[in-house]
Amino acid sequence: MLKVSNLSVNYGSTRVVDNLDLALADDEVLMLVGPTGCGKTTILQALAGLVPISGGEIQLGHWRSTPSKAVPPEKRNVGMVFQDFALFPHLTVEQNVCFRLRDTAKADHWLQLLGLDDFRHARPNRLSGGQKQRVALARSLAHEPAFILLDEPLSNLDAALKDSLRWEIREALKAAGVPAIWVTHDQEEALSVGDRVGILKDGRLEQLDTPEKCYAEPASRFVARFLGEASFLPGRLQGEQVATVLGPAPGVPINGASGDVDLLLRPDDLSLTPMETGNGVIDWVRYEGSSRLYAVNIDGGAQLKVRVNHEVRAQPGEPVHMAITTTHPLAVFPRQQ
Amino acid sequence: MQRRTFLQSLAAAGALGTLPLAASAVANGGVSVEQLPPLEGDITLYLGRGEGGLYENVLDAIRKRNPGLDLKVRRGSTAALANSIVAEAKAGVRRADIFWAVDSGAIGLVTEAGLARTLPADLTGQLKAGFQYPQWAPVTGRIRTLPYNTKRLSPGQIPDSIMALADSDLSIGWAPAYASFQSFVTAMRLLEGERATADWLRAVSKHAKGYAGELGVVMAVERGEVDLGFANHYYTLRLKSGKPDANVDLAFTRNDAGCLVNASGIMALSEGDLPINFIRYLLTREVQSYLASEAYEVPLVDGVAPPRGLPSLDTISPPKIDLTQLADMRPTLDLMRSVGVL
Amino acid sequence: MTRWLPVRWPTVRWPVSYPLALVIALLALAPVGVLFGLASDSAQLFDAHNLRVLSNTLLLMVFTVLGSIVIGVPLALVTAYMHLRWRRLWLILLAAPLAIPSYIGAFTLYAAFGPGGEIDRLLGLPMPAVDGLAGATLVMTLYSYPFVMLTTRASLLSLDASLVNAARTLGMSLGASLWRVVLPRAITGIAAGALLVALYTLSDFGTPAIMRLDTFTRVIFVEYNAFGLSQAAMLSLQLLVIVGLVLFLESRIRGSVEKPGRHLLLWPGPGMKLGIVLAAAPVTLLAIVLPLAVFGSWLVREGTGGFEFSYAWNSARASFLAALVAVILAVPVAHAAIAGKAGRLMERVTYFGFGVPGIVMGTALVYVGLRLPFLYQTLGLLVLAYVLRFLPLAVGSVRSTAEGLDPSLVQAARLLGASPREAFQRITLPLTVRGMVAGAALVFLEAMRELPATLMLGPTGFETLATYLWRVYEAGYFGRAAIPGLLLVLISALGLALMLSGERRTEFATETHQG
Repeated sequence: MLKVSNLSVNYGSTRVVDNLDLALADDEVLMLVGPTGCGKTTILQALAGLVPISGGEIQLGHWRSTPSKAVPPEKRNVGMVFQDFALFPHLTVEQNVCFRLRDTAKADHWLQLLGLDDFRHARPNRLSGGQKQRVALARSLAHEPAFILLDEPLSNLDAALKDSLRWEIREALKAAGVPAIWVTHDQEEALSVGDRVGILKDGRLEQLDTPEKCYAEPASRFVARFLGEASFLPGRLQGEQVATVLGPAPGVPINGASGDVDLLLRPDDLSLTPMETGNGVIDWVRYEGSSRLYAVNIDGGAQLKVRVNHEVRAQPGEPVHMAITTTHPLAVFPRQQ
Repeated sequence: MQRRTFLQSLAAAGALGTLPLAASAVANGGVSVEQLPPLEGDITLYLGRGEGGLYENVLDAIRKRNPGLDLKVRRGSTAALANSIVAEAKAGVRRADIFWAVDSGAIGLVTEAGLARTLPADLTGQLKAGFQYPQWAPVTGRIRTLPYNTKRLSPGQIPDSIMALADSDLSIGWAPAYASFQSFVTAMRLLEGERATADWLRAVSKHAKGYAGELGVVMAVERGEVDLGFANHYYTLRLKSGKPDANVDLAFTRNDAGCLVNASGIMALSEGDLPINFIRYLLTREVQSYLASEAYEVPLVDGVAPPRGLPSLDTISPPKIDLTQLADMRPTLDLMRSVGVL
Repeated sequence: MTRWLPVRWPTVRWPVSYPLALVIALLALAPVGVLFGLASDSAQLFDAHNLRVLSNTLLLMVFTVLGSIVIGVPLALVTAYMHLRWRRLWLILLAAPLAIPSYIGAFTLYAAFGPGGEIDRLLGLPMPAVDGLAGATLVMTLYSYPFVMLTTRASLLSLDASLVNAARTLGMSLGASLWRVVLPRAITGIAAGALLVALYTLSDFGTPAIMRLDTFTRVIFVEYNAFGLSQAAMLSLQLLVIVGLVLFLESRIRGSVEKPGRHLLLWPGPGMKLGIVLAAAPVTLLAIVLPLAVFGSWLVREGTGGFEFSYAWNSARASFLAALVAVILAVPVAHAAIAGKAGRLMERVTYFGFGVPGIVMGTALVYVGLRLPFLYQTLGLLVLAYVLRFLPLAVGSVRSTAEGLDPSLVQAARLLGASPREAFQRITLPLTVRGMVAGAALVFLEAMRELPATLMLGPTGFETLATYLWRVYEAGYFGRAAIPGLLLVLISALGLALMLSGERRTEFATETHQG
């Protein structure tokens, strides 16, 4: 089990990672997300031993690394998959995957499993981006790491490819049965493939939980906004119900919210009906193919975003009726001053 | 240091006329600057030697004494300047009015190309017998000497014949690539013949160590790397002036190439009185004794005392040889190369 | 409004830089032509003696190149990748031997070591003498390894860090990853530096002379001084054959071209830091501290005298002009070298100047200058001589930066409507300015320490630090060498600092880049 306690990393006088605590189960995939500059890549580099740590410790199996006694990367038995693939350009696919292997059976296994058999003797520069990343993954897994780190592995790939490769990687990781930490800035990727998701802000972990929990009950407004479209509707919390201009809704208080609160509404928690006597007016609309996203200014001042079937058509300026349709409890934040 | 105070006093005096006339106590030979006409006009000197400002001090003093003189100086290795003068003449360009060269090879090159003017007889007549040449004037002389390490050798152990050194078991320092050494070999070739010289070179090279220049030879002798060396006299005297307790002294051979007196020389390349009169300044007793006392060079004008630490020229018995003949370097180089010392 | 690029039928059309580069290449060949003229009435082509000289020359070159790689490459790794305190100071200190003429180094090493040397005298420690092939190799290595260090370092800085990180996380030790993953990709940088070292070694005169090693330059010098001008020219042509061979070998080395990526940084532990310091200290001690200490002791012992500050001004002025002109000429040559094979050849031709000993180049240019009397004995001819000798330093520097330029940037500019000329002026030029500054500084450093051509070609009465140093050294007044020697080092160090300053911004950007 990988255990990280109180991990801090400084660059000069700037603290880039601040008191991080993590523990990873044996075949768990942990997603780390956050905006640019939140320290997510630095965490990976610190775990791999590529940057020195300033505080805390990292422990896995028989080794333990501290600021005064660092374990070098090659002794950590860690696998790493890079954003830019980092394939050795002068070696063939097979040579890349077999880089430090005595027994090449494992390499064959992964080459086959990831569909790379036909490219064994090709040089990396002849491969497509998706193939390159599969080779990189095969290379890491063939070396049988105790844990694996993925640094935005999909960010250099086509959108169409991202979706399928995301699942291929997850399945390969599960098949290998190694714990993995996967860094991304794409919240959809984080929510869909992770067993758990960690959201980072300024080097601190804002929340670490299952994707469902993080999405539905974010620990902060930052997390709420980062993981998807978020609207906040003022209301008053009474018991387990929140009274709002759109009527009552079930609520879960976050951070001890009570009294005057803001209710977190995701675009799919709402319904929209064009109606002359509605409770709001459309501000703008975005067509998304199978759906449409509307921004509605409702009576009382708040703006809510709602996603509805593409067949529901309305133009900016038209009056509409909004209602809360969800039955599960919604996150409720203390009212912002 | 002594050298510095001399320079400062010279600078303070400002003109040659007020130089301390150390030589006058010994002998009243040579022409004084007071007797010379002032120099006026533009003149360019090619100076084939540096001397760390000593020649420059002489030139500065001449400039100060002659405010109407615009003296330009180009410095460089003697060979490079001689080659330039010849190349310039071929291209029909003349930039140098006078050429002051450190070794006779360069003088030979330029005089043979017919570029040097004949000097007036009263000028060459100021020089010691044996140093009077029609187309150039020796300014100062340097003597070939044997610097030896005083801790490792006594004077009695040193033969007084250069040829005898071939058979000795002394370790020797030499600088075969150095122009003065090559002139010395040329002299030996002329005096003893090609064969004897070749044998001598071969025999000495068995117990000799080579150096880049003769200053290096003298330093090596002083350090005790070798017992004795072949070098121009002034390197030893200069080393001793900076380091009075140095373990080095001078020995001389007799009547052979080993005590050859070679000379730096000056020649006029352009017409008119100015170059000739400029040369006259260099032969005054003030300049001659200044170069003797400061650069430890041997004055060649009659009646000027030699530098401290050097016996008078009369007590040394140099070989009789026409210095212009020493310009014939090519056979010397071929010889040295064929016996493998170059 | 959309603007289209003019579509050209593919014709055999020379790139715009070719005519200019051709003129510059021909100019660089002019001295070689003069040498042929001078050598034509020479008697001897080759003899047994030449064989020894040839082997000495080649051995000195090979050993110096190997020594420079052994010292320069590890130091390049340290200065490029290691996160050390005062790393900029380290870099300047380690590059500083470039600011010291090798003849000064050779002379001070010679004076300091051996029985009765300065170390023996001051500290009472008997030291072995430094001379011969070993001594010359030591001195040449100490004063030319920065060429390898700087070119290799530039290559290393452009490499993407993730390959090393990948190798390390796959279980390869740091040393092995650097050896197997980093160095093969830096091979062109190493080769470029090795080429400069080889040419510098071939053309240097002072060191073999002081260390008593018969090399081509020394024999050429002896011949020259014995008025065997044609023989000297013949020997120079033979030397040029070796130069040509070295140039050919270097051009065969091809490295991979890759896109620059994230900058690698390594954090050495205390033991490793100590190791680095212990390994670098002797180099710096011998190459920098020793000459400065010897000069210092001479200064104290003998004081100053006869020195004028105008010498320093003359040195700086001529060297600055040379640097400026060299960079201006280097731009079309570098452009041509990238544009095609013929251009590459033109670029190679300009390298000959770097392999011609200064005294030979000086003589050849005397003949060239005499054809153009308005140039003869002017600062202009001297600057031309500097430019012809040191142009390759500027060309190499400009070319390698230009090669690292992403071609899509120029394409982007063209698509925004810029003409090729405008794209060059507004995109290529500003982005290669770093290489131009570095190249100019290298030329400046070399011109500052150049001696023979300065003596032969400068205006009459034009005294520089190097010529003054020569004057006092030749006369044996070492004390007076102290001030000009120290000034030469100081001014050169400023040039060096300027050269290295261009890197600061880019490095800072990569250091703080964190995802």
